[in-house]
Amino acid sequence: MTLAKVIFACYALFIVLVLAAAFVIGASGR
Amino acid sequence: MKTLKDNSLSLVFGLLLLITLAAQALVGLADYNEQAEIAGLAEIDLARYITSSSFMVDVAENWQSEYLQFTLYILLTVWLVQRGSSESKPPEDAGFGDDEQERYGEFAQPDSPAPARAGGWWGGLYSWSLTVVMAVIFLLSWGAQAVTGRVAFNEERFRDLLDPFTLGEYLQHPDFWNRTLQNWQSELLAVGSMVIFAVFLRQRGSPESKEVGVPHEETPK
Repeated sequence: MTLAKVIFACYALFIVLVLAAAFVIGASGR
Repeated sequence: MKTLKDNSLSLVFGLLLLITLAAQALVGLADYNEQAEIAGLAEIDLARYITSSSFMVDVAENWQSEYLQFTLYILLTVWLVQRGSSESKPPEDAGFGDDEQERYGEFAQPDSPAPARAGGWWGGLYSWSLTVVMAVIFLLSWGAQAVTGRVAFNEERFRDLLDPFTLGEYLQHPDFWNRTLQNWQSELLAVGSMVIFAVFLRQRGSPESKEVGVPHEETPK
């Protein structure tokens, strides 16, 4: 289950980072 | 190797995602620069493009519809059924099911997830965690679409020497709703057709399908 947990974390982190970036980019008017 | 094989579905989809997203960035940049050239504006590079609202709105509008689709599907299949579909529970199992079926609380196994063994508010929250997380990603993606869509839309208005929209104005504009609804309709069609196609059609070996010889009216457990 170790690799599964790593993949889970990677997907979650990817989603969080992209969405956070989108809000920062949108809010800054880029 | 066994570990990789055990996780091949999520690994391959993750890899395909990265390849597709990179390709979207490259062709999106080409399209953006073509439009800029026509408008007599300066071209931009890849780093500038992938940190632009034009790129982000295209990403976010598709994300939100996918996560809406899954949120709705996870939630509605608790109560709604399609007899004979591999995408549905049997009609007699509609609803939340009892704790024994769910292996919850006193019926949990020693290796059940800790919240399922604990019950209470923690177990209750965990019982909804998949829907909650998918719904939160949907709402955040939709919000990101709105915020970045406004900037991208204002950039087009700027080219036409028109005043920019505030976020409140953009949320009432057809551009926001056109981006939203064109994605929703395609997701709903795909899900609805999959549900009913899975009654009568088969893919040998796929867990998304019934076994080839299972009768049409039989709903797998």
